[in-house]
Amino acid sequence: MTISLPELKQGFNDAGYICNENTALTVYLSLELKKPLLIEGAPGVGKTEMGKVLASILDTELIRLQCYEGLDETKALYEWNYQRQLLRIQMNRNLEQEQVKEDDLFSAQYLMERPLLKAIQAEERPVLLIDEVDKCDPEFEAFLFEVLSDFQVSIPELGTIRAKNIPVVVLTSNNERELSDGLKRRCLYLYLDFPSVEDEVRIIKAKVPATADLLAWETARIVAQLRQHGDLRKKPSIAETLDWARALVALNRNRLNGKLVSDTLNLVLKTRADQAFFKHEIGTEEIDRILKQGSSGGDISQCR
Amino acid sequence: MPLIDKHQDNYLEENLITFASLLREEGLPVSTTEMTDAMQALQKIDLFSREDFKNTLQATLVKNYRDRLFFDRLFEYFFASPQQQSRDFEKAVSYKRKYKQSIDQAASEMTFKGERLQLTNAELSQYSSMSQEQRERLKDFMHKTETGVNVEPRFRPLLESVVKSHLRYCRLKSSYEQTNSSRSKVQDEGKAAGGSGAGVGGADAALVEMDIQAIKTADLPEAEQLLQKLSRKLAVQILRRHRTGPRSGPLDLRRSLRDNMRYGGSIFNLKYKPRRRLRQQILLLCDVSASMKQYSTFAIHFLHGLREAVRNLSCFSFSDNLENMTPELKSRPGLKHLLDLVIRRNQAWGGGTNLGFSLQELMEKYPDLLNRKTSIIVVSDTKTISVDYALKELNKLNDRVKRIIWLNPMPKEQWPDYRSIGLIAEVVEMWPCNTINQLEEVLTGRL
Repeated sequence: MTISLPELKQGFNDAGYICNENTALTVYLSLELKKPLLIEGAPGVGKTEMGKVLASILDTELIRLQCYEGLDETKALYEWNYQRQLLRIQMNRNLEQEQVKEDDLFSAQYLMERPLLKAIQAEERPVLLIDEVDKCDPEFEAFLFEVLSDFQVSIPELGTIRAKNIPVVVLTSNNERELSDGLKRRCLYLYLDFPSVEDEVRIIKAKVPATADLLAWETARIVAQLRQHGDLRKKPSIAETLDWARALVALNRNRLNGKLVSDTLNLVLKTRADQAFFKHEIGTEEIDRILKQGSSGGDISQCR
Repeated sequence: MPLIDKHQDNYLEENLITFASLLREEGLPVSTTEMTDAMQALQKIDLFSREDFKNTLQATLVKNYRDRLFFDRLFEYFFASPQQQSRDFEKAVSYKRKYKQSIDQAASEMTFKGERLQLTNAELSQYSSMSQEQRERLKDFMHKTETGVNVEPRFRPLLESVVKSHLRYCRLKSSYEQTNSSRSKVQDEGKAAGGSGAGVGGADAALVEMDIQAIKTADLPEAEQLLQKLSRKLAVQILRRHRTGPRSGPLDLRRSLRDNMRYGGSIFNLKYKPRRRLRQQILLLCDVSASMKQYSTFAIHFLHGLREAVRNLSCFSFSDNLENMTPELKSRPGLKHLLDLVIRRNQAWGGGTNLGFSLQELMEKYPDLLNRKTSIIVVSDTKTISVDYALKELNKLNDRVKRIIWLNPMPKEQWPDYRSIGLIAEVVEMWPCNTINQLEEVLTGRL
């Protein structure tokens, strides 16, 4: 499964994933070097989406491991099926001629595969998405080293299992805590920032084609302005921009104005404090002013 | 395509190794693995595309968004075009020539009774870099000394000592000004490069690298927001319940029996009690003397952010005595209100410092706050009266608490010039902390 850089760019384009040259090149290098790709960035910039899109471009299975506090090997790698093992022992208790050997109980049929083992044992090279790796404990992060550097895992009862095909590994992090140097060393690194207004217009047009050109431009512009306010507790993500665009299309709107932004604000700003901040610190007049300024700028053509 | 061409003097590997060593000097953890990755990656791209070359090195060598700005600058300088390199070389040669001339000129001017003063090249260079007015003043002083009544040639060492002290003072002053101006330049560059994204854009990246004291008034709100963001991030770290694994505590027989009832009483799954985690207590000691004024304001901003999430947080300001600011924090005031309160409460805001007395007062009046669960963060430049007394009290305090982290806003290159810093750094862990970036680096994982 090899893919050239132009093919990869085309794949992103076809999947509606708008990204810059740097992003495409880094992903390409990670595929070529068979190294995991660590993507950091603010929530909602398209980190998880990258894993999904890659699976669709490479036409392969996506195996996702969602990290959280307390995640351990039994949930990420494998677990013995105790119930089945017990059942087997009890079934054989009455059959004197058939002795249950310990080796039988710890064989592959009693092994419950979790995402990491599943990815290693997959017949075709899958995409393994390890999402929000910063949320897992440092101990689990250290455990990931073995998987990510050698693509093999050790199960005491069965021995070492090597990957049939080295999976395409995408790790995402919201940068809630600093990841260890060891983990970073094993990965290529990509920092995803929020898209520029032009790129966001392209994203809106790709994902919500029914959006009028001017509406897409104004939506992207207002969202970009909102993101620049550092006082916001939660900056609007790309998904929220798309939801907003869909809502505006559903309302049959072709243009934005201050009042409309205020009325549909809960689609973009999702905390009470942020909504209050908008009302008191930004206001509908400011939105009208920004929109007026933007419409006289004539930059919309660049986004088509 | 083979990358090694031994017939060329300046082949790619050699350049890359030098480039990586420069990155390492700045503190970027570029290991052999990263270098190998970079070399392998370069074989997969079009080496004649400068943009691809740069992006490849960035993806393989830089693993932290904060380091991107430095990487960009170093790349532009290091991998400059041949024309640019030749211009830089000419500049360097011309600079070296001028430097030698200026040293010779300075040495000829710094004389006493016809004999040259014993000054180092660094001191002579400092003299020549001073303004005309400053040089004239120093020459005038030397001339008056030389032509004074009963002045003998054996007085030369005395004059040398005075001149050396004066030059040292000038060096410290100019290095401080240079640090600030170069950081301002970085900030401007960052702003110019600042992308559209509202994440960690260029301007933010530059602000976090700037000396807090050099942050311009117009940028203060932006810097405060960054600080709030950082404190929220740290608060998340402190609040997280890290578990070391399922077998962290003693066996929980009751839960084990209950859990294994479904297996007919055969115990397959052992259950363990979670290890009891001590609740972290953080105590911030903030120096509010004159030299620390702007840093203290920032420390309070930082504290305000932490306060949102950490309950066991105490805060004291100190200068020539100690002021407890914790009650103000508990009333959960807004940030501006909190700053006003602190300045009003602390009459010594902007005054002198008596660290020893303040620490003694802390131990006598608030013994309940000092125990093995307490981490103390001190924000101070260590400038205090009676250093030995302060050191004695600091030793006592260190024995009573979990750890003391000393954040020193003074640039590290100035540390050797202050005796107090060396002495205190032997007792507690001290970190340079005059930028928001350094603050984040120091506190991440230490609380």
